Amino acid sequence: MILSDEQKDALTELINIAFSRTAAALSDLTGQRVSLNVPNVAIHPIEELNTALSEFIIGEIASVHQIFSGPVSGDAMLMLSYEGANVLIDILTGERQGSGRMDVSGQEVIMETGNILLNACLGVFGNLLKVHVTFSVPRLHLEELNSMLDTLVIGKEELRYALIIYTTFQIKESSVTGYLIIVLGVASLDRLIHAVEEWAQINA
Amino acid sequence: MAKILIIDDSALSRRMMRVILERAGHEILEAADGIIGLERYFLDKPDLVMLDLTMSGMHGLDVLEKLREMDPAARVIVATADIQSSTRTMVTTSGAKGLINKPLLEEAVLPAVTAALND
Repeated sequence: MILSDEQKDALTELINIAFSRTAAALSDLTGQRVSLNVPNVAIHPIEELNTALSEFIIGEIASVHQIFSGPVSGDAMLMLSYEGANVLIDILTGERQGSGRMDVSGQEVIMETGNILLNACLGVFGNLLKVHVTFSVPRLHLEELNSMLDTLVIGKEELRYALIIYTTFQIKESSVTGYLIIVLGVASLDRLIHAVEEWAQINA
Repeated sequence: MAKILIIDDSALSRRMMRVILERAGHEILEAADGIIGLERYFLDKPDLVMLDLTMSGMHGLDVLEKLREMDPAARVIVATADIQSSTRTMVTTSGAKGLINKPLLEEAVLPAVTAALND
C-alpha cells in the first residue's frame, strides 16, 4: 500500500496538528518549552515493524501503550528511554528519582503522562475527522522493544501492514527525548486516509 | 468552601487536583476508582464531584450515570485527557455540570468549580 503525495501531505499536516497539541499538553504539565520535530509517516509490513522501530529505539524503554477503537482503531504508544522517563518523573514530581529502578509512584506518573499525551494527540484526530475514538486504560511497559510489540492488539485479520507515525520531542533544559507512535492496520488506515482526504478537501 | 470528591485512578492527577482545590480553600475527599467513588459519595455527600473518564473498572460515564441515579441533583465535573468534542457532548448529555481537560490548570479548574457550585 502506497500513499500518494497528496494523501501523505494531508496526513502529515493532520499529524502535525495532533502532535502540536500533544507538545502543548506536555509543556503545560512540565512548565517548560517542548520542541517537536517534523513527524515521519511510513508504512511497513507488520513483520518489519520491529526492525523499523528498532532503528530509532535502542535498549530498555518505558512505554505507555493505549488501545483506541472506533471507526479508526489501533495502538498508540509513548516511548521514552528508561533514563528519560526517570528525568521526566523528576520534573513532574519535583523529587529526585535518580537513575535506578522506577518505583510504583514513578510508574504511575509516567502512565498518566502517557494517557494525557496520547489522548491529546488522538483527540485531535477525532475532532478534525469527526469520528469518536474510545480509549482503553493505559498500560505501562518497562522492557525491551520486542516484548512490548507482542502486546499490539490491532485486529489480527488486518495485521498485514501498519502505518507508523512517529516524532521526537525534547523538553527544553532537560535530556528527555521521546517518541509518539501510532500503529494502524490496513482497514483502519484505509478509513483514515478516506477521512483525511475529506478533511483536506473541506479545508482546501 | 465546599466538600469536593475527586474520583480518578491516577494518583498524579488526584494530587494535582487536590493542590489546586485546597489552595482555593476546599475540603477534599479522594477515590481511586468508580466503585469507591460511589461509596464515598453515598457516605460523605460531597457538594461536587471531579470525575475522570478512562479508569480501570468502571468507566467515568458509568459512574456519572450511577451518581445521577443515586442523586439526581449530584453536581459533577468531568476531568479528562480526552479532548474530543464528541466526548464533551456525551458528558454534557449525561448530566455533568462541566468538563475540563487534563493537564489540569488552575485557571481552568477554579472557574468551572465556582460555576458548578453556584448552579
